[in-house]
Amino acid sequence: MSTLTRLEDVFRSVLSNDDLALREEMTAANVPGWDSVAHINLMYSIEETFGLQFPGNELAEFKNIGDLVKYVDQHATR
Amino acid sequence: MSVATQTIQQADSLRSSKNYREAIAAYMDAIRGQELPDADVCVKLARCHLQLGEVSASLKWLMRVVDSAEGFLPWQAAGALLDQIIAKHGINTDCGLPIRRNAKLAVLGSYTTKQLMPMLRLAALREGILLETMEGEYGQYQQELLNPSSELFSFQPQFIMLAVNHRDAGLPAFSRTPDEDVTRAVEHWKMLWDRASSSGARIIQHNFALPVETAMGHLSSRLSGTRHAMLQKLNTALGEAAGNRVSIVDCERIASHIGKSRWFDDKYWHIAKQAVALEALPSLARHSVAVLAADLGLSKKCLVLDLDNTMWGGIIGEDGLAGIRLGQGNPDGEAFMAFQDYVLELKAKGVILAVCSKNNDADAREVFLKHPDMRIKLEDLAMFVANWKTKVENIRTIATTLNIGLDSLVFADDNAAEREIIRQMLPEVEVLTLPKDPAGYVRTLSNYLMFETSAFTSEDAEKTQQYRAKAQIAELEAASGSIEDFYRSLKMTAVVQPFDELHLPRIVQLIGKTNQFNLTTRRHTTESIRAIMADKNCAHFWLKLKDRFADHGLVSLIIGKRDPKQSDVMEIDTWLMSCRVIGRTVEAELLSHLTRAAQKMGCTKIRGVYIPTAKNGMVKDIYSQFGFERDTAASANNSANEEIWLYDLSTKGPISNGFISLEQR
Repeated sequence: MSTLTRLEDVFRSVLSNDDLALREEMTAANVPGWDSVAHINLMYSIEETFGLQFPGNELAEFKNIGDLVKYVDQHATR
Repeated sequence: MSVATQTIQQADSLRSSKNYREAIAAYMDAIRGQELPDADVCVKLARCHLQLGEVSASLKWLMRVVDSAEGFLPWQAAGALLDQIIAKHGINTDCGLPIRRNAKLAVLGSYTTKQLMPMLRLAALREGILLETMEGEYGQYQQELLNPSSELFSFQPQFIMLAVNHRDAGLPAFSRTPDEDVTRAVEHWKMLWDRASSSGARIIQHNFALPVETAMGHLSSRLSGTRHAMLQKLNTALGEAAGNRVSIVDCERIASHIGKSRWFDDKYWHIAKQAVALEALPSLARHSVAVLAADLGLSKKCLVLDLDNTMWGGIIGEDGLAGIRLGQGNPDGEAFMAFQDYVLELKAKGVILAVCSKNNDADAREVFLKHPDMRIKLEDLAMFVANWKTKVENIRTIATTLNIGLDSLVFADDNAAEREIIRQMLPEVEVLTLPKDPAGYVRTLSNYLMFETSAFTSEDAEKTQQYRAKAQIAELEAASGSIEDFYRSLKMTAVVQPFDELHLPRIVQLIGKTNQFNLTTRRHTTESIRAIMADKNCAHFWLKLKDRFADHGLVSLIIGKRDPKQSDVMEIDTWLMSCRVIGRTVEAELLSHLTRAAQKMGCTKIRGVYIPTAKNGMVKDIYSQFGFERDTAASANNSANEEIWLYDLSTKGPISNGFISLEQR
């Protein structure tokens, strides 16, 4: 399964939205439901699912989902 | 990759292509035979069912997440899904889950509680509590309490939970006057409790988990001035100050249990002000709900135990007295003995014990009578059932004989097949999943939180004796010529008194948990009982009963309120009795006290109220038995489902009872 698909499943589960479709060019602003609480839930869930640790609030720094996919590909241990 | 993992991946792709029905079948295939299925799969099943519009199936799988694991991911997903169901469909009594209580909870936090809230709702629903919640603004717990026009007070909560952490204790890293500093901190919390109590709510206080980082190192435990030592002292002092109005969630113990390095997560504290690590929140939610459920009187009452390979190793019918493993000299034998010791500790705090075993009665009893290492004795058991009938049948008998609901029972059996049958046939009964190795039994039992109790009363310690007496009395009743002879032969004595501060914990406990002999099922809190005690237009009595078999303690109570619109009418607000003394004329005794008190207050009529529930059918005819007449007009006018009955005190006089002699205290 591709990293984007795995991420999509994490997002769907955390945001409780099975219709969510994640694309590389999307930013936090156009992922429905991505507010400050969801941000923390997403961050922790991505860390747990892929076995990685974002340094500090790195997740807030990514330009878009494509950037996040790249970071996960480089750091994932699971 | 295992077969199950492959099946789950297939199911995942079916789900992702929206073939939900096929996905469900594949997930079910993957978890076949698993007693506690993987929590992630439970969430996925819940999501599929919700997509298909099957709300109650979805809820059922969400509840299994609570049982399966305490990971943040499944709990967060399940909590979010539950909130979605609540928002879209609402949850009520026909949602497919047993709803035992509604409760209003305000959570006031000093840290981010956004993640905790859905988990509290989830864990509460698992225990049959439909929570309506209010979340205080981040870090505003003191302002909410100190401002009488805050949202908190308009919400009118039944419970106020103070979700705070060690940073709120207000203690310096080191103090030259530690006792004074701790006293000042205690006074501060007591002041906040006073404010919280003024809303009429019961308080649930999270105490302080002690951080492991202490610059003083091991010296901390020798110096009373270190923050570490002061926090310890503060936790103890808060527990002592809690009294009857505050329940404590012992966060220090939960944190120690799951590990301090997991409980505290500095990264998430700095990023998001999560004082309790995300991965620790499910534990915190489960424990907080257990304390709240105990306050609501929802704790389990009885532990039903299997014998072979549950209380001892081996099978008594085959291995014989000398062949079973129990006691010193064998690791299994020691584990079973340790388990029995722990069970006895539960008994000492008021859990009733019963045995339910497939065995010859004589074989099973012989172990209790003759084995030197049996810790549990026959007299510790309220009921002993060893025969060859099905456990379903025997557990039903235990519930009926002890007169408690099936939903008050917890079943412990090493045999997974027996557990599965009980889960399917008697879903109200809670079933423990004992591990294969008996060394894990104590941990499993102590991780089961619904034996939590909110107060420890003298009645609790005597409970098994009282339930045993019930069984003996059933025999005596059969031997007596007439019912009157039977009542006289019991040699009953009672103490009847108006409510008082000393008995308040027991009064509130009884109000919280009595379901069957309960005319109105109004769940008064400590605060509302205090208001009744202070009201001159109320009459209220508790009753303690003794007979030749047992001291039953405080088992019944009645509250009458003068109608503010018709001052000659006294209305029965609450009238209830513990099941273990039903059929002893206790109801007549309390009614005689109430009718005499009403007469003294100048009332000429007693108005009886009966509010039917799923459980109180046994008292539906009680008013007519005492000469009340149905007030059909008033009953029909009543918007709720209440029945109204009237007793004409001026012509019929007070009710009397001659079978119980009164004792002065």
